[in-house]
Amino acid sequence: MKTRCIVILLAIGFFLTAPPAPAHHAFAAEYDVDKPIKLTGSVTKIDWRNPHAWFYIDVKDENGKITNWGFELPTPNTLMRAGWTRNSMKIGDMVIVEGTRSKDGTANANAKTVTLSDTGKKLFDTATATIAPE
Amino acid sequence: MSLLPTALKRLSYCFLLAALIHLQAPAASAQWIHVTLAGTPRTPDGKPNLAAPVPTAPDGKPDLSGLWQVDSGKYLQNLAGEGVQVPLLPWAAAVYKGRQSDSGKDRPSVHCMPHGVPDAMLVYPFKIVQTPGEVIVLEEEFNQYRQILTDGRALPQDPEPAWFGYSVGKWEGDTLVVEVAGFKEGSWLDDGGYPHTDALHITERLHRLTFGTMEMNITIDDPKAYSKPWQAAPIHFKLLPDSDLIEHLCENEQDLQHLQGGH
Repeated sequence: MKTRCIVILLAIGFFLTAPPAPAHHAFAAEYDVDKPIKLTGSVTKIDWRNPHAWFYIDVKDENGKITNWGFELPTPNTLMRAGWTRNSMKIGDMVIVEGTRSKDGTANANAKTVTLSDTGKKLFDTATATIAPE
Repeated sequence: MSLLPTALKRLSYCFLLAALIHLQAPAASAQWIHVTLAGTPRTPDGKPNLAAPVPTAPDGKPDLSGLWQVDSGKYLQNLAGEGVQVPLLPWAAAVYKGRQSDSGKDRPSVHCMPHGVPDAMLVYPFKIVQTPGEVIVLEEEFNQYRQILTDGRALPQDPEPAWFGYSVGKWEGDTLVVEVAGFKEGSWLDDGGYPHTDALHITERLHRLTFGTMEMNITIDDPKAYSKPWQAAPIHFKLLPDSDLIEHLCENEQDLQHLQGGH
């Protein structure tokens, strides 16, 4: 009952209070909306700093080769106002990330959602943290 | 069997829980994102009353003090508003077109330079602190500030050009009319890339409607970039009650190295 309440309230609360998205750079100049990406990996680093929070995951391919991917999030200021903190994600967490690939072909993307792969719990969803797209 | 009473019961329980969490929040919060601010008009349930009348400053003027943010990201994207033709001079039109086709990849903020006037107020929150001789605007982005001097001084003659210019304000009824001039070149009027020169003169009219809402009307006058003055689309701000600014420094700029431009 309590958990369901919290889920309902969080959903309502985020929707009602989400501020506009600060965009210190032009999304389209950096990320390709035609290149969505979905990766699973373990968190190696979290950079909770402005102007954008970043986190990094080790992604293992079918041959066991590991590539470290970097993902950009909104400013920590927006994330904190939406209820997340620098401790919402931990080093070693196994996460599924949906995002938009960087245009320059490097192993970077702009993160849209971050979900814990063990429990399915959604850690970040930029749709609820922002009104306007980055 | 009617599910409605059960649903209502569950919802009532949820809102009771919400009220308890809300009351707990100021003590539990690690920083001042949720803080109970004295002087906030409240409804019987203790929530800020955003529809309350505009507060009055000790000198009898409307008090614009508070933490504010725009109600939409649209003003930052296009200061003029959807479909409005801005009277750009040919060189300025060419610059604007280039910035649009490049998706704004050379925007000053990717170089950690702040937004200027007015666009620093069009995205991140800002706090107005109104005092008798000056209205201080604390911009959250990059921890910047603006001073609007209301002590009767005139705009400086031949000023050192400044990114935010120089601002003086006076009251016309319930509206604070701010004149801004003395700009240095380089800032963009919005993220779309409307340019300006050092001849820019901006008039901002700030009018608080209720405790929780404020509007701003802007006139852009730059005869070296535009053939005549033009009006920005009216801008609406919402109060962020029981909250505060969060520090914001450009300490980990990672995008510049990846920017490609184009659409």
